[in-house]
Amino acid sequence: MPDHWGYVLFAYGLAAVALFVYWRRLARREKELDRT
Amino acid sequence: MTRVLGWLAVVALLAGLAVGFGVAPREVTQGNVQRIMYVHVPSVLVAYLAFAVVFVASVAYLARRAEAADRIAHASAEVGVLFTGITIATGSIWGKPTWGTWWTWDARLTSVAILFVMYLGYLLLRGMVEDRERGARYAAVLGIVAALNVPLVHFSVVWWRTLHQPPSLLKPGTPTIASAILAALLVNVLAHALLYAYFLAKRVRILRREQEASA
Amino acid sequence: MTYARRAWAVVWKDLLVERRSKETLNALFFFSLLLLFVFQFTLGPDRERLAAVLPGLLWLGFILSGLLGLGRTFLVERENDCWEGLLLAPGDKSAIYVGKLAGNLLLMLVVEAVLVAMFVVFFNVDVGGVWPGLALVIVLGTIGFAAVGTLFAAMTAQVRARELLFPVLLLPVQVPILLATVKATEAVLLGEPLAAVADWLKLLVAADLIYVVVGVLTFEFVLEG
Repeated sequence: MPDHWGYVLFAYGLAAVALFVYWRRLARREKELDRT
Repeated sequence: MTRVLGWLAVVALLAGLAVGFGVAPREVTQGNVQRIMYVHVPSVLVAYLAFAVVFVASVAYLARRAEAADRIAHASAEVGVLFTGITIATGSIWGKPTWGTWWTWDARLTSVAILFVMYLGYLLLRGMVEDRERGARYAAVLGIVAALNVPLVHFSVVWWRTLHQPPSLLKPGTPTIASAILAALLVNVLAHALLYAYFLAKRVRILRREQEASA
Repeated sequence: MTYARRAWAVVWKDLLVERRSKETLNALFFFSLLLLFVFQFTLGPDRERLAAVLPGLLWLGFILSGLLGLGRTFLVERENDCWEGLLLAPGDKSAIYVGKLAGNLLLMLVVEAVLVAMFVVFFNVDVGGVWPGLALVIVLGTIGFAAVGTLFAAMTAQVRARELLFPVLLLPVQVPILLATVKATEAVLLGEPLAAVADWLKLLVAADLIYVVVGVLTFEFVLEG
């Protein structure tokens, strides 16, 4: 069976982006709380 | 403390990647695409863990009326939905080359998808109730109903797919798993669990500070 | 007053209101009739194709009319400013839940009976020999649906955008009931014995028990204020 590296990259990339975006959202909200 | 947890999670995730791509062998029947398992399976396990935490925290809130329990339930549900979303996305991407389609009503995919919409509804309810105390009570009730529903969803979906249809072509995580693959899986499960703990702690802290600011 | 009498008081009150106004039941009958039209027009007149999806259509009808009917459970109290009355009712609040659940069960079963009758007439469904099995499946499914529906209706009654939130919360939770009832209805309509769907019936009984017990135990927290 072929390896489909593209799909592997896609899956890991998507997971990484989702986790990173969520982390950024949390970090931003915390910074906002620091300012107020 | 939370920061330490965050760095631990990062280190563990990097180790997970190294073991998943460096140590674990290329799977014989599926090839390297099977390596999606090292993000797919840990995220679904962590999602289940997160929803179990929602259940326990919901019961604790109704019993003790401790706002801390409510914050844990809220944060855990949010992180759980995130990991459920990742599970569905990676499962779908894995399905395309192995099943030939992005989505099939496979028993596992279906029950995770139902979980996803159930807890999205939970977060929606949280956002729609203005009064905080009332919102916490309603959410706790929903958290209990949703958690008790999980086994019912599981059995009904498995029977639905297997009683009249052939079982899915591929079952990720069959018991005859190679030990190197299993080890890589375990490292990644640990890494995802650490990440969950980090997100949970951070989200709980934000919720507490927001509530203090509005009080 | 005993627990049962307090639950009965709620049922009796709602029945009286319904008997005087008849608004819910009349509207639901009319809605069921319209649903039949919609099914017919969207799927076309082809009988073969209709027959294949009949159990699904039947339950689609139950669910849609159920969503409308159950969503109104506590609106009578809200519209007539009786919510405080419910809150101040003495004793165990879960009696109110049991009463409301019984009322909803009655309402849904009546509407479902009418829907089945309309299916017999319009879609030529033959329920002659299979009606006891069909009735059992419908009653079991409706108990679970109404148990969660009544609990969630109380939860969403005080929330803005409740007509949106109620189905959004209820439908995902009802997936097990829906799968079990549609599969069981399919088998029953094909004339299979009930033993063939024993697994589904057991699942329905388990779901009904879980939902009713959770509803009774958690209702007091919903009706607190």
